[in-house]
Amino acid sequence: MYSIEEIKELIQAVDESSVGELEIRNDMKEKVTIRKEAAMRPVAQQTAAPSPQPAAQPAPQQSETKKEETPEDSGQKETDSNYYEITSPMVGTFYRSPSPEAGAYVEKGAAIKPNTIVCIVEAMKLMNELEAEVTGEIAEILVEDGELVEYGQPLFRVIPS
Amino acid sequence: MNKNRLLQLLMAHRDRPVSGQEISGELQVSRTAVWKQIEELRKNGYEIEAASRRGYRLVRFPDRVGTEEIMLHLTTERLGRSIIYNDTVTSTQEIVREQAEKGSGEGLIAVANEQVQGRGRLGRSWQSSPEQGIWMSLLLRPQVPPRYAPQLTLLSAVALAEALDSYLPEPTAIKWPNDIRIHKKKLAGILTEMQADMDEVQTVIVGMGINVNQADGDFTGELAEKAASIRQYAGARQSRPQIIASILKSYESWYNEYLTNGFGAVKAAWSAKTDTIGSFIQVETSRQTVEGTALCITDEGALQVQKTDGSIQTVHSGEILDGPPPE
Repeated sequence: MYSIEEIKELIQAVDESSVGELEIRNDMKEKVTIRKEAAMRPVAQQTAAPSPQPAAQPAPQQSETKKEETPEDSGQKETDSNYYEITSPMVGTFYRSPSPEAGAYVEKGAAIKPNTIVCIVEAMKLMNELEAEVTGEIAEILVEDGELVEYGQPLFRVIPS
Repeated sequence: MNKNRLLQLLMAHRDRPVSGQEISGELQVSRTAVWKQIEELRKNGYEIEAASRRGYRLVRFPDRVGTEEIMLHLTTERLGRSIIYNDTVTSTQEIVREQAEKGSGEGLIAVANEQVQGRGRLGRSWQSSPEQGIWMSLLLRPQVPPRYAPQLTLLSAVALAEALDSYLPEPTAIKWPNDIRIHKKKLAGILTEMQADMDEVQTVIVGMGINVNQADGDFTGELAEKAASIRQYAGARQSRPQIIASILKSYESWYNEYLTNGFGAVKAAWSAKTDTIGSFIQVETSRQTVEGTALCITDEGALQVQKTDGSIQTVHSGEILDGPPPE
């Protein structure tokens, strides 16, 4: 059986490499799979359907890592149309309401101001109340309540006014 | 006259009585004024012995978490230097949030004797009965990218655990990400709320609930199985203002370390103090229950769990379920 130490070493090795996923087996046929999170991948990839990355394709992985070096640093990106996107500032769980019993912060069609709280993103029991930062109307809610969201992932599409 | 200076003077001479004359000389006030202030302190619960001709001696502190009492013990530079005390509040988080919106600076704390709407994660209630515990919120304005801010919740756990350990006969353990437990019972909980956009953190409000002086019968229902107080293990009532001062001291030192050198030392201290890592656990996330062995935390503070099929899953948010692991 793999020891915790061995696994930790493997995680670290994968972490520091450009490999997206590593799968190894020992003579006992025991399998360890280490898969990097989507957060490690470039922003452009994050909206794509979550198809599993092939095990070892170093070349494309490297070029992707390069793309990551120019992060998009704006919370509201203008898409090709006239929409703004409110994106997640961190990895975590997306919540539409302050508690399961409470109503949603915003619904589709809601008028928002820059300081309107639109959702919570939670990680490690830190609740991030996300402000809209833009005046307009919620055109689309892109993520479902309780879904895990990535850094930079679009959460809302807004028609700015 | 400054009541705090009188208190400090009495504190400094707890081994012997201080005469009214000595006090009036030291504080540059009349002896009548001294007497009035002593009466005032007594009304606030300070037990002050007065021996005729010999003077006053502070015998016992009240169990009060007011501004003066905390200030008396406080040794920090920034944290807790501004205190808002209320006897009863809905939630100390709300008090700090209101102040933060008005522009209050880092280090402000709100303390209450009782919270009537103490909150946990996702609107869960937290029993914050009067007198017995510490219900406190701390305002921070860290200059870190928002995506790293969740590390602060692990920092809070380390700072809190370290401070509470000095009041206990045996050490506490941290349950991922930031519950403080003793013998698997919850001694303290932390709820952190952040206002941030993509680039910048505006405020982080750290809410702490610490069970201090509850006696055996005070935890009712399912809490009897799940909650514990410092008193139950220390064997005696503890001074809440003193514990608050210890927490803030410990917090300030870890926070400075974090802002200067990053998460490394915090991560190491957290890993040394947790009983989650290495255990077989079940974590309830919003969509599924993940079961497996907790391996380590990542540089973000997320938990890595190795499932029985060998694969590893990183958990960013979820609740580790209590109860015995399946054999």
